Amino acid sequence: MRNTLQYVLKKLLLMIPMVLVITFLIYWGLDLTPGDPISYMFSPDQLANIDPQKLAEMRELYGLNDPFFIRYLKWLWQLLQGNFGYSITNGVAIKDLLAQLFPATLELSLAALLISTVLGSVLGILSALKKGSVGDNLLTVAGMIGVSIPQFFFGMVCIVVFALNLGWLPIGGRTAPGMTGALAHLKFLILPASVLGISLTAGVMRYARSSMLDTMNKDYIKTARAKGLPEWRVNLVHGFRVSLTPVVVLIGFRLPTLIGGSVVIETIFQWPGIGNAFKTAVTGQNYPLVMMIALFSVLAVLMASFLVDILTAILDPRVKLE
Amino acid sequence: MTAEVTRKRTRLDRKFDKLRDAEEAGLLKRSKMNRSLRKMLGNRLAVIGVVVFLIIFLACLLAPVISSYDPQMTDLTQMTKPPSMQHLFGTDKLGRDVFTRTLYGGRLSMLIGLGSALGAAFIGVLLGCYAGYKGGLLDQVILRLSEVFMSFPQLILVIMLGSIFGRGLWNLVIIFIITGWGAVYRQARAKMLSLREEEYVQSMKAFGLNDFVIAYKHMLPNAIGPVVVNLTLSTAMFILDEAAMSFLGLGVPPEVATWGNILNAAQDLYVMQNYWWMWLPVGVVVSLFVISINCIGDGLRDSTDPTQQG
Repeated sequence: MRNTLQYVLKKLLLMIPMVLVITFLIYWGLDLTPGDPISYMFSPDQLANIDPQKLAEMRELYGLNDPFFIRYLKWLWQLLQGNFGYSITNGVAIKDLLAQLFPATLELSLAALLISTVLGSVLGILSALKKGSVGDNLLTVAGMIGVSIPQFFFGMVCIVVFALNLGWLPIGGRTAPGMTGALAHLKFLILPASVLGISLTAGVMRYARSSMLDTMNKDYIKTARAKGLPEWRVNLVHGFRVSLTPVVVLIGFRLPTLIGGSVVIETIFQWPGIGNAFKTAVTGQNYPLVMMIALFSVLAVLMASFLVDILTAILDPRVKLE
Repeated sequence: MTAEVTRKRTRLDRKFDKLRDAEEAGLLKRSKMNRSLRKMLGNRLAVIGVVVFLIIFLACLLAPVISSYDPQMTDLTQMTKPPSMQHLFGTDKLGRDVFTRTLYGGRLSMLIGLGSALGAAFIGVLLGCYAGYKGGLLDQVILRLSEVFMSFPQLILVIMLGSIFGRGLWNLVIIFIITGWGAVYRQARAKMLSLREEEYVQSMKAFGLNDFVIAYKHMLPNAIGPVVVNLTLSTAMFILDEAAMSFLGLGVPPEVATWGNILNAAQDLYVMQNYWWMWLPVGVVVSLFVISINCIGDGLRDSTDPTQQG
């Protein structure tokens, strides 16, 4: 246990310089983009009521004429206190904006993760059990197609087929006026979540397949067979359970793809989440928002890989020795 | 003791029987072909991949020969025409031939994909080879730096850099190189770390050869294999990224025909439903092309992996 704690601490300490470098790069990027830094600190309403004389004083006061590195440290300090600046286009504090958009993105991401985990591990394990069969080959080809089709193209095809031609599901958006009940809401979720989920499935499937093949060659599986256990028991209880642990860990590795994918999917389906806001912010040259969303997505990925490291260390004690 | 063992005869048994028969008949020639190439040809998916890749690649390369239209020429009498013999993929809202645009767009998309992959591989190998061999502080610094770039979600980093650099074909290539070199660096470095302990390296070191000569001339050829294989997969990735970026309207300027830009034109629902030819064929071509590259990449990886039988 003490060992684990030491490992966790070591990993945490290693993350600090990473976070510093990343925030530095983000601030550098913010500095390179056009725009007056004072507008990142005040909402536009406030800014309009300040006379230029006062603004120049403020510039001095807030150290905007300071060297770059000092400005960076001050910005970082503000960040740590939870002041993320203001969106240029509508003057809303970025913190409030993100808090408002986050639930939508979370909902879509969780649904996509659920779909890809269930579908990917079930298909992967089935194809490992029937290795070399027609079904396995078909799934391999399907997996190859899955990682190769552009997500937005897949989304477009789904919109045309299921929303426009068949009319089963709405084209996009998250809510409709006068909508009540979870069921009506679910209709909006199905299409984007399936597209995002299915496009993530291929990776999980490949991983689950090779992991299951690995497990099925282990000695304890042979022992289980030798004991005369029925085949389904060997597969499900002995093989499946063990090979699934890395698949759970894989959720962490899928996060970068998930975040990138959500930008594309949220844009096509007009889903009011962070990915959609990111795209709009880039097009509208709303740099403070762009940088903040980028920063948070990196931090999310770092956190996920940190958790994955810890989880693997707990599941497999050998990792800590490295 | 010649007890007949009865068991189910499998596909492999039949294969071995065939081989034995051929051997007994003296038909089995010693194959002159490279073992990797032979394994590659045995991989059905990879062979199909090569064929599809060549068809699309050559069609795009020979675009001026295949099509007599100008990809930018608008013809207002021929707006939004469905596919016909004159216009294989129909025409778009400005009367431009979609088939021609797909071919010319493919040239640029391939250029961006391959150029970025080559650039990223060049920088990654250049740094990874030397730093992996020397180790020490330089290696640690570059390694941490590559970790920083790799911890960004690929698409987020690409879009973020795009918003700073502005739209443009070469900007896009530079951005892809910035986001892609880290993975190559780590791969080259890992290979160099294991090669470093080989005896030939140790002996050259003892002879006092220049570090650069050892790293780039003698060790690099042994470390480059996996990088070359990965070049195919990263080309596919960058083609997909370009398509996504241009589709979102953040990539190459809209007047330039690339696969992503052609698809971008079909973003509104009316076009999607009523003028399917403006986006469906292009999307299928992009998908086929990327699938074929991925098949080739997987085949290459399997056939060059000495731990796999074949």
